[in-house]
Amino acid sequence: MSGRLRRWGAPGVHANLTPMIDVTFLLIIFFVLVSQIVEVEHVDLRLPTLIEPATAAPEDEQRLVINIVPGPAGRAAEYRMGTRAFSADAAGRAALRSALAEALAGNPVLRVNLRADRETRYEGVYPAIEALTQAARDAAAVRGQPVTPRLNLVVVTESRL
Amino acid sequence: MSAEARLSLRRPRPAAGVSLNLTSMIDVTFLLLVYFMTVTQFRTGEEVYRLDLPERAEGRDQPSDPFQLDDEPLRIEVAGMGGADAGVRIRIDGPWPQPTGTAGLHDFLRSRRIGAPGSIGLFAADHPIIVHPTGTTAWQHALEAFDAAARAGYSNITLQPPS
Repeated sequence: MSGRLRRWGAPGVHANLTPMIDVTFLLIIFFVLVSQIVEVEHVDLRLPTLIEPATAAPEDEQRLVINIVPGPAGRAAEYRMGTRAFSADAAGRAALRSALAEALAGNPVLRVNLRADRETRYEGVYPAIEALTQAARDAAAVRGQPVTPRLNLVVVTESRL
Repeated sequence: MSAEARLSLRRPRPAAGVSLNLTSMIDVTFLLLVYFMTVTQFRTGEEVYRLDLPERAEGRDQPSDPFQLDDEPLRIEVAGMGGADAGVRIRIDGPWPQPTGTAGLHDFLRSRRIGAPGSIGLFAADHPIIVHPTGTTAWQHALEAFDAAARAGYSNITLQPPS
């Protein structure tokens, strides 16, 4: 008799850990992927801060992000596009232009978000705008039709309240 | 056999079936909810100006009437006096009253835009405006001047290469 009782076991609370472990691993994979994407696209910069500007929310369309990494005394240290880094000299700007032209040849209406530190001098920011302008010309020559990328200047908005 | 043991033997055996443990799923769903809320708060601050590249702007400005004269663009020179927190000098090219800062520039542009409330009406909303910062001007100041024109209701604003 006592044997039968032992086989049935005493009624108790059992935690089914299998789904928890499954979802935990899924979450880990999700966070790892998301954090890598965010890190690659968003270099830590102090973006220009404007009070109630006439800006628009960024669109969720396919876009590239160019980050201008600040150097000493307001100079641009390098340009970053995804995982690729381009030096802030003539060779780096030419390489940036080629990379942008390649991207525009694949997508002629690409959106390009330009992120620069608020302290960076304009002479370090404008070469990125110029590279995109020239890349659009290069891509148009390759495709044989107009290429019209859109440049988005990224800022941080503040409310007066 | 005691009376207690007999009672437990008579208890029906639970039927074998599929049971779904929802507790852990709900926990994780709330964790995800908190995560998305946090991320949304971080991203709300970033917004964009849509800037036309020179080719696109030139294409748009082609006059449909061949006898129509091109508008002379209004050129705004911006010269920063140091970093982003230092002062800025703004000069409007032409015989105009000179603003003391970006707020003054906004007031000037708004007061001369056709259709703006209380405006004396001089420039159309698509009148070309060129923002021309010096090379040493901080990006903050260049964008403040750009924003002053955009907030005043102008739609055809371009950035010039640094002087």
